[in-house]
Amino acid sequence: MKVYYYNRNYGDFMKVLMKPIEMIAWFTQDGLPTPVRFRMEQPNGSYIVIKVARTIARQEEKLAGNPMITFTCQSIVHGMERLYEIRYELKTCKWYVYKI
Amino acid sequence: MGTKNRIIFHIDVNSAYLSWEAAYRLQHGATLDLRTIPSAVGGDATTRHGIILAKSIPTKPYKIQTGESLYSARLKCPNLTVVPPRYHLYMQCSKALVSLLEEFSPSIQRFSIDEVFLDYSNMDIHWGDPIDAAHRIKDRIKEELGFTVNIGVSSNKLLAKMASDFEKPDRVHTLFPHEIQGKMWPLPVEELFMVGRATTSKLHKKGIFTIGQLAISDPELLTQWLKSHGRLIWQLANGLEDSPIREDYPVKGLGNSATLPFDAEDRETSHRALLSLTETVAMRLRDIRKFAGVLSISIKDRDFQSYSHQRKLEVPTHSTNILYGIACELFDELWQGQPLRHLGVRASQLHRDDLYQLSFFKGDIERQKALDTAVDKIRAQYGCDSVMRSSFLYSGLSPMMGGVIQEEEYPMMSSLL
Repeated sequence: MKVYYYNRNYGDFMKVLMKPIEMIAWFTQDGLPTPVRFRMEQPNGSYIVIKVARTIARQEEKLAGNPMITFTCQSIVHGMERLYEIRYELKTCKWYVYKI
Repeated sequence: MGTKNRIIFHIDVNSAYLSWEAAYRLQHGATLDLRTIPSAVGGDATTRHGIILAKSIPTKPYKIQTGESLYSARLKCPNLTVVPPRYHLYMQCSKALVSLLEEFSPSIQRFSIDEVFLDYSNMDIHWGDPIDAAHRIKDRIKEELGFTVNIGVSSNKLLAKMASDFEKPDRVHTLFPHEIQGKMWPLPVEELFMVGRATTSKLHKKGIFTIGQLAISDPELLTQWLKSHGRLIWQLANGLEDSPIREDYPVKGLGNSATLPFDAEDRETSHRALLSLTETVAMRLRDIRKFAGVLSISIKDRDFQSYSHQRKLEVPTHSTNILYGIACELFDELWQGQPLRHLGVRASQLHRDDLYQLSFFKGDIERQKALDTAVDKIRAQYGCDSVMRSSFLYSGLSPMMGGVIQEEEYPMMSSLL
């Protein structure tokens, strides 16, 4: 099986999606969230469940005064190793797939 | 502190509503930056709030004015992108701006939702040269919050405010007293703070067209002619102003007004609209723990003629029911039967609410107070729409009207605070 790596440095390969997702996350005692597993609707209406294999980076920002945490994560999706970004919007408690 | 070594910054968000919307959209995955195309924030034309609230810089060649109707703006610029307003977002952005600025100085005055004064006097010990610091603040806001600001640097609030208005966007300008002649005096007189439309036309008639011409006029003649306002604008034209940064600005009055989704043609509908506005005004009064001493109402009819009427209350109050009763009396005295598109309710001469005169003739104030307290508590916990008067059912009117706020000191702010 061929494994494709989408390196972070080649962020252009990732498409901006900003699609809301259903998330199971793990929060530490200090309140640090980490994504664990999420379910995303696909264009054909079916759902795909993705287990977050690795969280590589987390970055906080507050554009427009709206705090968000962006996680760079890695998983096997459809048999391929994929790098993608998910976002957690603190005020609404919503999770999004930002880029994939 | 001597005025000599005061350093004041005026931070002004460039096309605030539009920039905030653009930053929010980019954060939520939009690929197009509204600031790079002709775009505007506009009200909803179907509920007759269709005016331009803010516009992007690329609309400049089309000469679209803030406040003009969406219809005429679209005639001038057919490819104009119009987005709806989002007042909670603006409040959130404004708060984020203030909390970032608080890192630089303890002395900050929020002048309006998108304008802040910051006292930088003696702060150079911590942050270095004022101009450098202003650039740093500007760049941090751009990077962290995603919108651009203009910063005016000077030795008083007026000059700082004039300076931030020079060239936009994303700039730092200075206007120190020795620069007034070169930078401020050539400007048209209507650019000066406190010179509005009425004063401008008066000044034009006397041949005063620039701020410089006003500044070299005889202050005595101006005082005789325009009374105290004449002296004030003469002082401002000469850059003379030394008001302190007010961190806690006393609220002098507060009010709400709204354009109705349809013309109110009968007394009952108008009263209901007044009730809706009074609900909001009275709740805000109770929130800041003040009684209204004077209540005024304003109406605007179908032909855009405005009228207003006010009364000093025998017993100051913040009770919704009592204020509503007075608003209705004022309305009945004022209204001539014409269809109305816009109504407003305003409270002023505010008093503390912990002492009040009991009255033999005005019913049981304590009971009203208990009712208002209970309603406020329910609304605070379960939202403003959790409790409403049944007269608003199927009326087409919102039970609490007045989203954007008219207030003297905090233009367009506090109903969201």
